[in-house]
Amino acid sequence: MTPLDQVILFVVDLLALLAVYLIINIGLNIQEGITGIPNFGIVLAVAGGAYITGGLSTRLAVSLLRVQTNLDPIFNNIAVLHLVNPILRSQPPTAIAMLVLFLIIGSLAGALMGLISSAPAVRLREDYLAITLLAFGEILNVIGIGYKPLIGGPIGVNLPDIFGWAGQYRFYVGTFVLLLVAAAIFAYAGYLIKTPFGRTLKAIRDSEIVARSLGKDITRYRTTSILLGSLLCGTAGSLWVLYSGAVTPTYARFDWTFLPWLMILLGGIGSNRGALVGTVVFVALNKLIVYYKYAFVGILPFDIVWLNYLLLGIITILILIYRPEGIVREKVTAPKLNLSAANKEIQSS
Amino acid sequence: MGNLLQVKDVKRSFGSLRALDGVTLNVDEKTVTILIGPNGSGKTTLINVITGLQKPDEGHIYYVSTEITGWSPQQIYRTGIARTFQIPSMFGKLTVLENLLVAEKNHPGESFTKSLVKRLWAKHERDAVEKASRILQLLGLFEQSNMPASLVSGGQMKLVEIGRALMSDAKLYLLDEPVSGVNPTLAHEIFARIIGLREQYGITFFIVEHRLDIALQYVDYVNAMVSGRLIAAGPPEQVINDAKVIEAYLGA
Repeated sequence: MTPLDQVILFVVDLLALLAVYLIINIGLNIQEGITGIPNFGIVLAVAGGAYITGGLSTRLAVSLLRVQTNLDPIFNNIAVLHLVNPILRSQPPTAIAMLVLFLIIGSLAGALMGLISSAPAVRLREDYLAITLLAFGEILNVIGIGYKPLIGGPIGVNLPDIFGWAGQYRFYVGTFVLLLVAAAIFAYAGYLIKTPFGRTLKAIRDSEIVARSLGKDITRYRTTSILLGSLLCGTAGSLWVLYSGAVTPTYARFDWTFLPWLMILLGGIGSNRGALVGTVVFVALNKLIVYYKYAFVGILPFDIVWLNYLLLGIITILILIYRPEGIVREKVTAPKLNLSAANKEIQSS
Repeated sequence: MGNLLQVKDVKRSFGSLRALDGVTLNVDEKTVTILIGPNGSGKTTLINVITGLQKPDEGHIYYVSTEITGWSPQQIYRTGIARTFQIPSMFGKLTVLENLLVAEKNHPGESFTKSLVKRLWAKHERDAVEKASRILQLLGLFEQSNMPASLVSGGQMKLVEIGRALMSDAKLYLLDEPVSGVNPTLAHEIFARIIGLREQYGITFFIVEHRLDIALQYVDYVNAMVSGRLIAAGPPEQVINDAKVIEAYLGA
């Protein structure tokens, strides 16, 4: 590998992670930033998308491709994939159709997790809700480790290589697909904020009681918001395991709840562009710290593995003290009245 | 002139506190009625009960001739009763214009599925913006249309509250202290606008207000409440000269 290849691989990997986090952060921002639901359990939806995709993809591939085998898709995972992957490699259209199918399944799995967490979420007040959702986030890992038929227990399983047809460009194509999906979702979220639906969500966030007195069905809006946000988190989880080709029951609260929160806090809660800025700045920063931290061995008076955790903590505190509204302030997205034109029209009518 | 709102023997307690102890009153169509009474006499509770934010323990509430007792706030809002709050509560990050737009009834763009296709709601939105800008004009808030609602003055927030209520095309408006904390000039202006709206649109107002020096010149009827009971009702001169009202509320 030439140094250039290394740089390219570094960037491709960085972009893939960025795309996945952007989707999750948009999902979180719809819930916390726009509707005011502090979902501290988004790891549940991410892991839901990841584990369900991981658990079903090999099984589905075997039955849809009519692979003749008595081997179990989970317990004899590697052997079964040896039969499945050559077919997917030789038939790119089939592989792409299957990618779409798996993404839909993963997204729906995320939405299902959202539905489960929405039961307490629409009834509890902020702090109680936060604690409950925090606990919810742990459930799936316990199931994933204990119930082997899901994703093979602690060691996890591999997934059908959906990008295998791209050969040595597999990760480039994968990253491209991830970025494409992320861009579409980013565009949709920008549109959502400007619709009357998004406006009602923001109204509920700003004053629940007034929104109720203006005839809004608060429970339905909050449930929809959680479902939508969780669906996106499921999409991200699903994309991530399909891209990396394997899944283990290690979807931790730190990576998939705390970091997304930190990113939207950094970018600016409630702002769609803020979610993008927060994701880019954070993912790049974190990657650089991880990449270069060994340069500090011997200089710093503690073990270097703690460096990024420490820096992330410091960054969080600095944001909260000096710029609690984040890098990008929530923009007014209202239909602007052209005062003079509207005035004339009213006078003349 | 028929009864638009009838409240019959409504009771509501909070623990051992009887906030409403058998309140019976009528609001006639196209009138401006105020409800007075000392602090803690149950005026806001009555509005909360009428608008469905709190359920009555006993009693009946009729709107036109439909019983609305126990309906949800959404159902009551849809049927034609809108309210404002004593302490103005804005959708702070939305603009003044957007604050009014949120109140638009039956907006197709507010449904998640229909919001996905702009064509399904864009026309309704344009009409709503036009309606909102007329109301803003009427309330003298036009210049503030594009300002975030959290940045307008306290008096203007009161007007935004009224504007939001007006967006509903309701027939009955329950205003909870629309001029408290507002300077006398603006307070007179708010009441003058309320009268203007009544004349123009034939709508009905039921207003909780303490500032009798201002309110009495404008209203048709006065109801007086003490400790969860109605002690007097009638034209202003009659009620403020009532011995019980003077003793309980106006002072010697």
